[in-house]
Amino acid sequence: MGSDRFLQVENGLFTAVMVLYLAAMVLYFIFLAVKREKAGKAAGYVMAAGFVLHTAALVTRGIGAGRLPLTNQYEFATSFAWGICLCFLIFLWKYRFQALGAFVTPVIFLIIGYAAMQSREVRELMPALRSNWLGIHVSTAIISYGAFGVSFAVSLMFLLRRNMKDSAFWQEHIPDERKLDAISYRAVSLGFLFLTFVIITGAIWAERAWGSYWSWDPKETWSLITWIIYALYLHLRLSRGWKDRSAAIFAVIGFLCVIFTYIGVNTLIPGIHSYA
Amino acid sequence: MDQLKKVWRFLRSMKFAVILLLILAAACTAGSVIPQGQPTAWYTEHYAQQAAGAVMLLGLDDVFHCWWFVALTLFLCLNLLLCSVLRFPALLRRMREGFTPARAIAAWDWAPLAKLEGEPERLFAKLGFHSVRSGKMAVHLPDGNSGAAEGTEADEAETDRVEADGAETDRVETDRLKAAESADGRPVRYAVKYKAGLWGAWLCHLGMLVVIAGFGLGQMFKSEYTVYGVPGQTKPVGDTGYELTIDDFSIALRDDDTVDQYTSEITVTDTAGGEQLGGSASVNAPLSLFGMKFYQNSTGWAATLETWKDGKKLQEDLLCAGEYAAIADLEGLAVVFNAFYPDYAEDESGQPVTLSSALKNPGYLYTIYYHDQVVGMNVLTAGEKITVEDYEFIFRDPQPYTLIQVKRDPFRYLAAAGGLLVLCALILAFYLYPRELWAVQDEDGVWCFGGRSAKAGLLFAEEIGRAWADLKKEEQSDGK
Ligand code: HEM
Repeated sequence: MGSDRFLQVENGLFTAVMVLYLAAMVLYFIFLAVKREKAGKAAGYVMAAGFVLHTAALVTRGIGAGRLPLTNQYEFATSFAWGICLCFLIFLWKYRFQALGAFVTPVIFLIIGYAAMQSREVRELMPALRSNWLGIHVSTAIISYGAFGVSFAVSLMFLLRRNMKDSAFWQEHIPDERKLDAISYRAVSLGFLFLTFVIITGAIWAERAWGSYWSWDPKETWSLITWIIYALYLHLRLSRGWKDRSAAIFAVIGFLCVIFTYIGVNTLIPGIHSYA
Repeated sequence: MDQLKKVWRFLRSMKFAVILLLILAAACTAGSVIPQGQPTAWYTEHYAQQAAGAVMLLGLDDVFHCWWFVALTLFLCLNLLLCSVLRFPALLRRMREGFTPARAIAAWDWAPLAKLEGEPERLFAKLGFHSVRSGKMAVHLPDGNSGAAEGTEADEAETDRVEADGAETDRVETDRLKAAESADGRPVRYAVKYKAGLWGAWLCHLGMLVVIAGFGLGQMFKSEYTVYGVPGQTKPVGDTGYELTIDDFSIALRDDDTVDQYTSEITVTDTAGGEQLGGSASVNAPLSLFGMKFYQNSTGWAATLETWKDGKKLQEDLLCAGEYAAIADLEGLAVVFNAFYPDYAEDESGQPVTLSSALKNPGYLYTIYYHDQVVGMNVLTAGEKITVEDYEFIFRDPQPYTLIQVKRDPFRYLAAAGGLLVLCALILAFYLYPRELWAVQDEDGVWCFGGRSAKAGLLFAEEIGRAWADLKKEEQSDGK
């Protein structure tokens, strides 16, 4: 099979993945709206199926392009959505927390929609980008961003639930704030650990490629800002207690920073990273 | 005195840390949005007058090196240092005395997370607790409402109230608890795991200090030089006393003519001792020699300039684009080789451009000066010559030159060690945090389980509940 053929297959898989994620999102909404356990369960299976096909799509693209599919906006966006999906499934399985789906799937859908709008052309890499460190750097970024995506959804639920004190629906359908906080904290921990790893591997790569491990280029700076925001989350949560809203607000801001680091920096601020 | 105490309190508080981190994040945002390091004129041209004034006044044109940014970072270090030093004794005490069955059970609310008949070790094993202590303890079952810890007292060094799930830092008087461990009490099992995880946050803070120290020292002491040239040339590496010889330079192309790799073969000579070391440097694979790192940084075009007068060759200079040659025969005469176009053409407005990166139709942009006056400027193509008075100039043999960056930062290992420490510490803080599990046998011989974890009490309790359910399921299916 030629590499073009692989890319055609990838195209088909990608479309199927979009459809499955959309279906899962609708099922999760139904689950929330009419509190049908079955709809939630079904949504979980559809998500899992979507995830399997998504993995297959990434693998085929990797084979078709002859390298890790992690180098342009399209590839990174679809991998980003994959990362959120992976983390979501892990959290779903670990904490049996179906309502989360109704909040995570829209995020996944938006990101994969963004991916769909990007050019899918496969281009050769400039020499500085061909590095194993870069591969590790970007793959860990996907896990980190995926975990932050989950914490964003959970923190949003936390904040909304607090504001919906009078709504029987919210009190009934969504886990209590204490649990939401605990889960968001687990997601931020995972994301923060990986983000630290991402920054370190990025520094190692930059040192090898450009001769300086930290040069305050906008992408580096924004990953540091994101990191600081999540450090603030961790400390606020520790010092003010889980009942406090401020930590959850920082978890939401943190994810907006993640998105900005990834999309905003490339489109709005020029720098070394502007090719990826 | 009170004032001083307040300042001291503030300096070591987490509140100060939060404020500093917020300002640093804001400063970083400014530094990424406002282009850095431009001349003043750039800001006055691109921003409104007041905004440009504010940028220059606050040093926002070079945020990451301006005094207040450095000062904030130093304050963060001071804050981190104070907080770490002051928390150390309390942590050590918690590590030594904080994890005992007496303490755990005294703080327990007696709501069993699991109940088992028979060997309690089954549930311990299922949850990954391997060294289980067993003994007897005089415990009072709660009379209806509460059996939770009495008399807790705040940790003096714990300036910030750490309200973690369930378990406060309880300091119940130790001797009262010792007395509770007695031979004729109830059978008790107790295990703790990941005690070392208590140090996670502390080590993370230490790691951050090391990273900042490594980075700061690097900024102060690192040095950087640039050497460029064509194969055969030898040039000094700044003021280091080393010389760099470019032995070879190659550009590997892919089938579609895009660049695959740039590689320079170089030899470095210690001019004092005469020692020579060499190797190859390519993109993403720098060469380390004599404690310096040599980076294949970029490339450009060089060419040979011949100077003729009256049919006689006066001199020959190998120039990289951007360099100039002073003509020895006439003081004040110089030729600048401004730029090179390998596939030369003119665009609609008559500006020189190159159509591709292939060497098809070389074009040399030059300027000739005589005592700071421009006496000639044009693009010369192959075979053409420039004539100025009695002098004739020709460019020939265009070839790529290599630009090698030479860097020395003896503190980068310090920063790397700090980063590694932060990473390991985060694993401790987030995953290997301390967990305690215990079981007390009630009158009916049933083991009642309790557990606590300051970091994730709620989830740990759920984990225990789930392990218990799994265990029951397994035992049921085994029994069938
Ligand atoms: C760049 C700076 C900092 C980073 C990256 C950082 C990171 C962390 C992390 C990862 C934790 C563990 C959180 C958790 O387990 O949920 C933590 C806890 C903590 N941090 Fe920081 N921190 C920083 C600065 C500070 C400063 C300046 C203070 C000074 C007061 C501070 C005080 C604390 C305290 C008191 C804890 C709780 C410790 C414990 O649970 O044992 N942090 N920090």
